[in-house]
Amino acid sequence: MRIVIAEDDALLREGLALLLRAEELDVVATAGDPDGFLTAVDAHAPDVAIVDVRMPPTHTDEGIVAAVEARRRRPGLAVLVLSAYVEQAFATELFSVGATGLGYLLKERVGRVEEFLGALHRVAAGGSVIDPEVVGQLLARNRRADDGLARLSPREQEVLALMAEGLGNTAIAERLFVTEGAVHKHIRSIFAKLELPPDDRADRRVTAVLRYLNDGRHAA
Amino acid sequence: MGYVRRRVRASADAWAHLAGGSGTALLAWGALLRVLVVAVAGLVGLGPRAVPGAVRAARAVADRERARLSRLGAPLPEVGPSPADPRTALRDPVVRREFGWVALHAVFGLGTGLLGLALPLHAVQDLTFPLWFRLLRPEDGAPGIVWWRIDGLPDALLVGLAGVAWLVAAVAFGPALARAQARPGRRLLAPPPGVDLSLRVAELTATRAAALDAHAVELRRIERSLHDGTQNRLVAVNVLLGAARRAVRRDPARADEILERAQQAAEQALGELRTVVRGILPPVLDDRGLAGALAGLAGGCAVPCRLTVDVPVRCAVAVEATAYFVVAEALTNVVRHSSAGAVDVTVRRERDRLLVTVSDDGHGDADEARGSGLTGVRRRVEAYDGRMTLTSPPGGPTRMHVELPCGS
Repeated sequence: MRIVIAEDDALLREGLALLLRAEELDVVATAGDPDGFLTAVDAHAPDVAIVDVRMPPTHTDEGIVAAVEARRRRPGLAVLVLSAYVEQAFATELFSVGATGLGYLLKERVGRVEEFLGALHRVAAGGSVIDPEVVGQLLARNRRADDGLARLSPREQEVLALMAEGLGNTAIAERLFVTEGAVHKHIRSIFAKLELPPDDRADRRVTAVLRYLNDGRHAA
Repeated sequence: MGYVRRRVRASADAWAHLAGGSGTALLAWGALLRVLVVAVAGLVGLGPRAVPGAVRAARAVADRERARLSRLGAPLPEVGPSPADPRTALRDPVVRREFGWVALHAVFGLGTGLLGLALPLHAVQDLTFPLWFRLLRPEDGAPGIVWWRIDGLPDALLVGLAGVAWLVAAVAFGPALARAQARPGRRLLAPPPGVDLSLRVAELTATRAAALDAHAVELRRIERSLHDGTQNRLVAVNVLLGAARRAVRRDPARADEILERAQQAAEQALGELRTVVRGILPPVLDDRGLAGALAGLAGGCAVPCRLTVDVPVRCAVAVEATAYFVVAEALTNVVRHSSAGAVDVTVRRERDRLLVTVSDDGHGDADEARGSGLTGVRRRVEAYDGRMTLTSPPGGPTRMHVELPCGS
């Protein structure tokens, strides 16, 4: 797996590279600003990009803009965005280009190396990962909304939140201490309540997550 | 006796007031002539361009009279700036009243002033006449009364008696004349009813908005430094700790190396947190003011530091905190990087700007890009609409100059 890191804080950039290299992952380039990042993407043909949201010059959403641009230049590039705080607008901006191979995580998740690596691999494999914190905020906002999400039972909401994190049925079952069969049942029920037709060719899990994010946008 | 003393003192005060009023009356003549010229020019269609000058002239004299009257009695509040646009200015009630006052004071004020001053002068002249009447020829007559032939001391003493009459008149009428002279100013130069309050509201609104702005800027600055500095350091600590935990089992030596880095990052986080906290509002500023706080910095500096502070009026707290921060950062840089033997710090206030200069005799070549505190200094100074210039050629010397608007 070829990885490019874009992070303006030198210490953190090196820390990330060190962490990933220790796991025998192939960090092919690191960059401290959006331009350097895009150049590296062009030059090194990476599979995954790990991008900080706040980068020079204005330290607002340069990372998101650069990630979207990188995806345009290199379709299929998996992008894992790291953010110091939850900003739902950034997440929606990011996921507006689709959800496959995209992730949005708080920076502190990197410290839980195993989970971080799991997320990285899921994103690289074309899955989507959304930070539990983002999901939690969305859930809190949508609890009163009169829409599909509001009709979900608390358990189904939990399952949806874990799906949004990119977990598979087995992992969800482990987290919730239920059987895989139960998870499967919950997921079917979620799809039904969100009126996602069974013959839909799009990845329904991703669609469910996107529904989530879009609802967040309307509620915001 | 006390009554006489009171009367004499009141009269002396009145004459002083009349003299001052006559002074402003003469100035009012100047302003009146200017207003008249502009009015005539306006009548023959020469356009309103000269109006602001006339408005300013009248305002200048009026302000002088306001200050004079405020010293003598109930204070007259200052009025705000007059409108810049000629038409609006001419409709402004304050300006109109000032024009009226200029005309009235030039004529009536000067008249009462001269009359009021003439009374005691005549009194002195006539009272002393018996002492010096011999210097004149008899046919010259008494002072002011040429047909009164003075043939000897009895006549001269009679003139002296007239002097007593003058003196009585001066004492009797002086205070009344002074009051009469001041009355137009007290009436016309006070803010027109209703205007006072609205001006005050506008002024308060403006200062309040400015304060809120400064507040927002300050919060943004603190958020930035916490976010880009401290938080990133802590994230790095977290990442490195994660990496170290993973390495413990596979390669303990490597784990130790990573932990060492994590500790460094934690130390950096603490250092930056200290800087942020110190930068919010150094407690020493509250205790000792800017000069005292800077003296503390200079005294604690490892490089001999010469400090000159010339700031007679205190600036806004945020500005003082920024100046303090600038000097603190600059001195830290001097000690760490310049190998200087001496450093000069000058802080002075020039009208509405606070000027801070730090110069050393070190080897120069300071570079903002190399992550010294200079970027932080620039960011903070610019947050206050200030300017920072840094000259540091290789070989030195290094000079940092910062200008901060400090309003008033």
